[in-house]
Amino acid sequence: MVRTPGPCRPPPPMTAPSIFCLVKGRLPWKAWIPGRREMKFLYPWTSVILSQAAEKKNDSFDLEELQETDLEEQFVRGHGPGGQATNKTSNCVVLKHIPSGIVVKCHQTRSLEINRKKARDILQEKIDVFYKGQNSDILKQREELERKKQEKRKKARENLERKKLLKEKQLSEEGN
Amino acid sequence: MHKTSIMLRRLLVNVTPFWVHQRGLRTRDMTPGLLVSHWQKVFQDHQIPDAQDSSEILVSHALGAKTFRLIPPALSQRPVSDHQLQRIERMGQQRLQRVPVQYIIEEWDFLDMTLLMRPPVFIPRPETEELVGLVLADGHNLLSSWEPRILEVGCGSGAVSLALLQRLPQRSAPRGTLRVCHLSLRVSSRIENFLNCGFNCSSDIYQVFLFCLFNPSHPPDPPERLRPFGLIDTIVSNPPYIFTSDMSQLDPEIYRYEDHTALDGGPDGMDVIKGILRLAPRLLKQDGDVFLEGDPRHPEMLSQWLTRNPSVQLRLISTVRDFCKKQRFVHLRRS
Ligand SMILES: C[S@@+](CC[C@H](N)C(=O)[O-])C[C@H]1O[C@@H](n2cnc3c(N)ncnc32)[C@H](O)[C@@H]1O
Repeated sequence: MVRTPGPCRPPPPMTAPSIFCLVKGRLPWKAWIPGRREMKFLYPWTSVILSQAAEKKNDSFDLEELQETDLEEQFVRGHGPGGQATNKTSNCVVLKHIPSGIVVKCHQTRSLEINRKKARDILQEKIDVFYKGQNSDILKQREELERKKQEKRKKARENLERKKLLKEKQLSEEGN
Repeated sequence: MHKTSIMLRRLLVNVTPFWVHQRGLRTRDMTPGLLVSHWQKVFQDHQIPDAQDSSEILVSHALGAKTFRLIPPALSQRPVSDHQLQRIERMGQQRLQRVPVQYIIEEWDFLDMTLLMRPPVFIPRPETEELVGLVLADGHNLLSSWEPRILEVGCGSGAVSLALLQRLPQRSAPRGTLRVCHLSLRVSSRIENFLNCGFNCSSDIYQVFLFCLFNPSHPPDPPERLRPFGLIDTIVSNPPYIFTSDMSQLDPEIYRYEDHTALDGGPDGMDVIKGILRLAPRLLKQDGDVFLEGDPRHPEMLSQWLTRNPSVQLRLISTVRDFCKKQRFVHLRRS
């Protein structure tokens, strides 16, 4: 057993395997909550964590809530006993929106639960574009982002060009 | 040839090292994508489960990324360095011995946290992510308490407690401290995980005492020893729950490499569960909750056990299915 630093009482001798260590934490909240995350529950057994970013993104729009009953979810991890008796690393989620037939796949992270949440976010956006077409806020935002990116790139190019010209001018002046 | 090296050869799975295959090729040509296909094939040929996934994770890890898609484009187009190539080779050889990927890369994710995974710490399963969600969804006492007290029995890597701590309502802050008690066998890995999540070990966490709970050869310590912490709002546990008779059917990744004390729940998988149930009424506040993960057979067995043991003042509130629709969790309340 590795002893931890800090104010520890000397632990009594261990008689494995049934000795239990009681650790008490005194944890002031503020110190360790960098950007608290909110929970949202789709259904008691599909409680999924909303990341702050995802929440912000969708809050600004009027995206329609996904109905869990409209979804068909599949996992690539295969059929095993599950729980402690299974240890798989494949956390890919395949999510189908039955009314529209749209299917998304998500294996962005190493957490199944986060992938389930992300799959729902992606699906929600796709459905928005599917039903609203050109009027979709998501599409508009994406175009806006693309436009801004282009602009930024253009500016950077112009800047570079200017600097180059300046340098050439300086060089030619030094040469004189 | 040296005797030891002959023996080693016998012990190791007979796979020609990668660089021998590639003698014709220069290592300069080995991009991450090619390496992934190579190792995927090797794993498939040796019937290693999750071949593609394993290969992608190991290669990505050597390049400092969590998943293959997260490898920055600049790196994914370029050949890997010699050092990275050797590292991937070493990790690949470990995988061929059925070492769990999580132990090879010494980390894994639980919800949005990355936790340290050194053997023999139990590798958290995705079902347990749902246990955290269930506690937060149905643990009304916990959420309404000004000074929530949680007892986690058997915290392993600390995944459950850490996830709960990050998500409990902030309003308990003005009241100063939050108490978290852990009952666990393993300390070292957990402490490191607390550190990784930004806790300060020396001032925030300290060992209080060690005591026996369910040791058949020692009389159990009176739960009164937990009393100084006050009555508890919620007990949460993912105790060892595999039936002893099922242990031998586990995949080598689990059977050979994970700690059996974290898995083997006794003849009916309920040894530790029953211990928790007996202890809970004495530790919990009135209407305090117990959330347990278990085998799909356990909710029914647990309900029968409660009927046979009316002195245990707990009632079954609900049983909840996991993402595979298997009965996996139980919610009990002190009555
Ligand atoms: C399945 S692991 C769960 C670990 C962690 N909570 C998680 O979900 O990843 C079970 C844990 O219970 C511990 N354990 C085993 N027997 C125990 C007992 N009798 N009392 C307390 N903890 C025990 C093991 O050491 C292990 O850490």
